[in-house]
Amino acid sequence: MTPDTVVAIDRIAKRFSGHVAVADLSLRVPRGAVYGLLGPNGAGKTTTIRMIMNITIPDEGTIELFGDRMGGRHHSARIGYLPEERGLYRKMRVRDMLVFLAEAKGVSRAVGGAKADEWLRRLDLAEWGPRKVEELSKGMQQKVQFIGTMLHEPELLILDEPFSGLDPINQQVLRDIVVHLSRAGKTIIFSTHQMDVAEKICDHVCIIARGQKVLDGALAEVKRVHGGTHVAVAFEDAGAGAGAMAAVSDLVAAADDSGMSAELKLKDGVDPQTVLERLMGTHARLRRFERIEPSLNRIFLDKAGPEAVAPAAEVAHA
Amino acid sequence: MRKVWAVIRREFVERVRSKWFLISTVLGPVFMISVTVLPSLLATRSGRVNHIVLVDEGGGTLGERLRTQLVGSGRFAVQLVAAGADRGNAVRDSLTDRVRTEALDGFLTISPATLESGMAEYRGRNVSSLRDMGMMEVALRQSVVTERLTRRGVDPGVVQEAQRGIDLKTLRVTKQGATGESGMVTFFLGYGVGLVLYMIILIYGINVMRSVLEEKQTRIIEVLVSSLRPFQLMLGKVIGVGGVGLFQFGIWTLTGYLMVHFRAQILGAFHVPMDQVSAFSFPVISATLLSVIGAYFLLGYLLYAALFAVVGATVTADSEAQQAQQPVMMLLVFSLIVSFAALNDPSGQLAVVTSMIPFSSPIIMPVRVATSDVPTSQLALSLAIAATTVLLVVWLSARVYRIGILMYGKRPNVKELWRWARQD
Repeated sequence: MTPDTVVAIDRIAKRFSGHVAVADLSLRVPRGAVYGLLGPNGAGKTTTIRMIMNITIPDEGTIELFGDRMGGRHHSARIGYLPEERGLYRKMRVRDMLVFLAEAKGVSRAVGGAKADEWLRRLDLAEWGPRKVEELSKGMQQKVQFIGTMLHEPELLILDEPFSGLDPINQQVLRDIVVHLSRAGKTIIFSTHQMDVAEKICDHVCIIARGQKVLDGALAEVKRVHGGTHVAVAFEDAGAGAGAMAAVSDLVAAADDSGMSAELKLKDGVDPQTVLERLMGTHARLRRFERIEPSLNRIFLDKAGPEAVAPAAEVAHA
Repeated sequence: MRKVWAVIRREFVERVRSKWFLISTVLGPVFMISVTVLPSLLATRSGRVNHIVLVDEGGGTLGERLRTQLVGSGRFAVQLVAAGADRGNAVRDSLTDRVRTEALDGFLTISPATLESGMAEYRGRNVSSLRDMGMMEVALRQSVVTERLTRRGVDPGVVQEAQRGIDLKTLRVTKQGATGESGMVTFFLGYGVGLVLYMIILIYGINVMRSVLEEKQTRIIEVLVSSLRPFQLMLGKVIGVGGVGLFQFGIWTLTGYLMVHFRAQILGAFHVPMDQVSAFSFPVISATLLSVIGAYFLLGYLLYAALFAVVGATVTADSEAQQAQQPVMMLLVFSLIVSFAALNDPSGQLAVVTSMIPFSSPIIMPVRVATSDVPTSQLALSLAIAATTVLLVVWLSARVYRIGILMYGKRPNVKELWRWARQD
């Protein structure tokens, strides 16, 4: 393991009363990465994260954190963890609770209090500090819990579905913070099934399906290797778009059709120019026609979607 | 250690700050006083006179004698009705109707059989008033005895002297000599000690359970166990909640002490005459008794808190907790019930044995110490057994707890619990 690897997972497996949650999973998270753990619901993302955090023990395999096998709790002060199941003490005051969470990580009360105030201000929650947690909206509670994972200034943040259930504005706020922390040199692992979010902020991804790794690597490398010719099209109205899509269907291997726009994977040997000519022949008015790299969503659907026969392809580590 | 301290602090501060703490601190003594003092107070206070009819079916002079006796007690207004044996049923029926329509509280029937074999009958709406029925029985017995003796020609003066009341004054003697404490005061002291210990262990044990369950239900437990070892969390929780118990107990003790110490001023403020104030006698709670209570509170609380923590860790929903806590509650309730028996015979076999069993000793032993002289050897043995058990149970509980807090769904059976306890 190189000194620049923060998390190294080697062939771990976890079974729960008969069903396999994770099988033969290996991955490496380089220092400073924004690492996306992607997969459909029930793929084994949360189980993997819990094993990293020492909450459950793998049946097989090893997990190294910061170069040793002492486990997540041993390195607790260096790790911030946001579990998938959100939970706070409902009757506690927001600021008191944040200070307690910081203390549980070994931060002194004074420092914890100052940090809590700073972050509450930063997330526009300053006036809620003396209020009880149960008075907060769900979105606010989620932000408070997010603050709780960062008070001790961890080097490694592990966030399980951090953006789920948030409105677009708050999603943006948290995304900005993740980017900011990444620029400050922190390593961030997060799980999500929202590919568009992952595509925007991850530099490394690992796609898991049915407990097994489908692919992993640097995002750019993953895209380069995925291959195929991809185009993005957008129409002025969805009705005409439907006709246009039908006109090119024989040229398309797979389509991610959202009505007003679509991402098309062309059949081998098809020239995008041919597709454009066909589309021009219909009455649909185009807003966009562009040759693109495959989107993460496309790759995800190809590799982990229902039609994928799941040949575990591994991309060379960047 | 700093992390454990953070947990202790949180549990303590959050609880003491809550409305629940304020209310229970104030209402605790009120409740205690109402269950110990109020029933007897109410029984003596209800000053209503019972209107009854005395049906005399041929008791001779007994009727008049009994009437005088009953009226003399101040609790009865009596109308004497003579009825021949042939009209007895008719009279009784009409009187029963009057009792039913509440025109009358009841009627007492005496007959020649009353003098011969002591048979008499009372029918009324107030038969459950133990005090009134007791008085009626005393009046009846005295009248019958007087009547029997007079008929045999005994001098009425002698009879009267023979009937004079007896007042047995009971005073407790300990190794230190006579205490001047009456038996009644000792009884109530023992009763109070048992009840307070039961309540405080139960309330704070359940608090620990709720706290564990809350962390499980809100899933905050995942964040906590990724920061603290489960044992640190459980330790902090048990100590923190126990601290609240001690704090509350301290407030009660101090208030009680102040109230006893300044009782003259307090009662004076309510215009209670001074001679009645000094007639109140209060138990002296010795330093020994206080330290015994303290020690057994700690042991009992730790034991039960650990058990309740396991209950909290092995369930997921409140309704399950209600069920799963039953066995633990039973142990406590059993101890309280036995403590009543121990009050009557603090050196009896039952009391001695249960004061050695670690699950009941935290309640029984202080009761025994409060009401009798317990040999030091017994006290030492009981403490040693309890302390050893506490260590063992806390250790086992912690091992089950650490697995249970992350398990959701089906409740484990005893076999699974045992497996958790042995698991690495």
